[in-house]
Amino acid sequence: MSTSAQVLAEAAQPIHPPPTSFWRQYVFSIDHKVIGKQFLWAGLLFLLVGGTLAMLIRWQWAFPYRPVPVLGQIFLGKSGGVIGPATYQQIFTTHGLVMIFFAVTPVLIGCFGNFLIPLMIGARDMAFPKLNMYSFWTFLLSQLLVLASFLTDLGSAGAGWTTYPPLSTNVGTPGLGQTLVVAAIFVTGVSSTMGAINYVTTVIRLRAPGMGYMRLPLTIWGIWLTAILNALFVPVLGSAALLLLLDRNFGTQFFVAGASAVRGGGDPILFQHLFWIFGHPEVYILILPAWGILGDVLPFFARKPHHWYKGTVLAMVIVTVLSAMVYGHHMFMTGMSPLLGEGFMLFTLLISAPSMVVVLNWVLTLWRGSLRFDSPMLFALATMFVFGVGGLTGLFLADISMDLYLHDTMFVVGHFHFTMAAASFIAAMTGIYFWFPKIFGRRLDERLGKAHFWFTFIGITLVFGGQLLAGYAGQQRRLFDPFQYTFIQQLRGLNRWTSFFAFALFAGQFIFVWNFFKTLFGRAAPAGANPWEVTTLEWTATGTPPPFHNFDRIPEVVRGPHEFSNPEVRRLTGRDFAGQAEVLPGGGERLVAAKG
Amino acid sequence: MLGANIRRGAATGPPPPDVPELGRYRLRRTEDEVTSYIGMVIFLASWAMMFAALFFAYAVVRVRAPMWPPPDQPALPFLVPGLNTVVIAASSGAVVLGVRAHARGRHGRESLLLGVAAGLGAVFLGLQVLVWVGVWRAGLVPSGGPYASVFYALTAFHALHVLVGLAALAVLAMRSRARTATRTAVRLWGMFWHFVGVVWGALYVAVYLV
Repeated sequence: MSTSAQVLAEAAQPIHPPPTSFWRQYVFSIDHKVIGKQFLWAGLLFLLVGGTLAMLIRWQWAFPYRPVPVLGQIFLGKSGGVIGPATYQQIFTTHGLVMIFFAVTPVLIGCFGNFLIPLMIGARDMAFPKLNMYSFWTFLLSQLLVLASFLTDLGSAGAGWTTYPPLSTNVGTPGLGQTLVVAAIFVTGVSSTMGAINYVTTVIRLRAPGMGYMRLPLTIWGIWLTAILNALFVPVLGSAALLLLLDRNFGTQFFVAGASAVRGGGDPILFQHLFWIFGHPEVYILILPAWGILGDVLPFFARKPHHWYKGTVLAMVIVTVLSAMVYGHHMFMTGMSPLLGEGFMLFTLLISAPSMVVVLNWVLTLWRGSLRFDSPMLFALATMFVFGVGGLTGLFLADISMDLYLHDTMFVVGHFHFTMAAASFIAAMTGIYFWFPKIFGRRLDERLGKAHFWFTFIGITLVFGGQLLAGYAGQQRRLFDPFQYTFIQQLRGLNRWTSFFAFALFAGQFIFVWNFFKTLFGRAAPAGANPWEVTTLEWTATGTPPPFHNFDRIPEVVRGPHEFSNPEVRRLTGRDFAGQAEVLPGGGERLVAAKG
Repeated sequence: MLGANIRRGAATGPPPPDVPELGRYRLRRTEDEVTSYIGMVIFLASWAMMFAALFFAYAVVRVRAPMWPPPDQPALPFLVPGLNTVVIAASSGAVVLGVRAHARGRHGRESLLLGVAAGLGAVFLGLQVLVWVGVWRAGLVPSGGPYASVFYALTAFHALHVLVGLAALAVLAMRSRARTATRTAVRLWGMFWHFVGVVWGALYVAVYLV
């Protein structure tokens, strides 16, 4: 029996036969589930690249001038395994770029966005499946450009991930490597924009009947707001990269300060403006999906509805809007009118208010819940903690008078690693552990998952905590050999210990790699349609793995995303949860207050 | 025009009951089309941000410059680019009429109009090349400081969009002759073309006039 709304939805999204050829099925696929997996593989691979680069940086800060064991033999043969200053520049530059644009972004946005949006809103595919495919292949091209940059004569980009001129101009960083990486940023921006157009349109147009905005799972809210930010602000980065490419290759002078008295010159600071107009929203581009995932996983494993769902949605929308108005706080030390600086400081501090609403709602969701400590839940709780630390240290940096002292120290590095790196990374792990059964049909091993969790959580806290301490003690960031300064020499022990913890953190990730392949190719039992006993459509309205067309019948949604521990549902079904599209026996949904 | 519709209706099947409603019926959008429009609007908003960032860069560079244009560099012409403004506006007008012709099912006329629009786009590019050549001969090269940078970067980036748009319009003109051009394709490329025209208007005022 279908309602008229379902009939209309079916007519708008007819079932297409699945492709049969190998290439159409697995490689040039337009199926959002396959594209999501492609993004996952590409992202995880580059996570390994970025992590390896991080280990090289940590080695340098622990044992400067000493040959790197194993990796040095493979990659730094010419210098006998020692990291030289120019190589070091390239390592920390590409570590940042790879992690942000080519590892965390594809996993959080590319994989989860693609895989989850149609399944969670009850659609057969994305609004523009072909555009989706182009988005992935454009992204892959940008990854290849980054890899190619390592093979050029002078090596890869070395101007820092922010790519500030004049260091990033031909004068500061000559060579093809930097040009290729700037081009890669442009290309990945094009890919992000294509994805964003797709995500925004899909959520607006293809929600199943009954799936109002206030019934969307919070994951979708997070990804949707992220997509809006991506659509509006990634193009700004695109034009910055474009102008930088023109400066590097065609002799224009947008960012090159000229010496001519009559003609004037370009403005290096202009790049900082363009970069941070994009760059600050980018911070929220990476954290909003993480918030969204937490907003669903916490109630799922606390067996309670999310506390004040609408408040969280509203707070996330406000954060999205405010994120576009605070970029100046990255430039307090660049030289800025004090009045303008105070304005940016005010807005920056203001962001913590809606952020606190989000965090408090998480805490109140947990309050008196019956928590299940499966590995996704552990990762979700860890995300809360590290995001809390990251957010609180952000207050120090938002305050101008404090920022004067902490600017460009390791404190900044610790802060943005806690927020962008740790919180986004652990949230991505939350998502991977949670949706792995839906993506690949099996549950990751629980014992290995917990071992991975403790390595990750303790490791990340100690590593980035060590950075915060070093920065507070005055250690500048990005130094090739920090200990050539006498006032940093006393921090040698702290740096060395931080490095040891980083090595342990890195080693712990191989537990995940082992778990991943063991589950994928081992003899684990199929997970079944709904192993976590949760409510959203991808678990309750379709099988595992979902068929090519996702839903045999497009579901009609009758309640919000977190219907848990409702006594009436328990009386009617014997379960403590009800699926979003589940029709309860005996017309029971009329008895259950179907909260919007 | 209504007469033509009635005759065609009579030839192919029973005439529709309410003839004045027919035009409206043909203009009504399907669900898929609405989805495509929304996607296009988001794309254009996104691209508008890109151009906005370029104009922002221009504004910053210009505010910092001691003189604009610098005394040792040629002033930009404004008559030929002004003519170009008229050309691209006319081209947009042709697209509007072409879309209307498509809605009325007059595919020969549609093909002609889209062809005219693409041709005007080519004229625009030709005139733009003339401007570049003239200015280059007068001694303005891309490496000649911020003034030259802004002029060449903005006009070239815009011209690239014109090139893409006119290629699409040319293909659509051929397809509409064969009746394989969908209404969505014609309308969406039309929207893109209007966008390119509007950006040109802003660019003309900001770069050539002010």
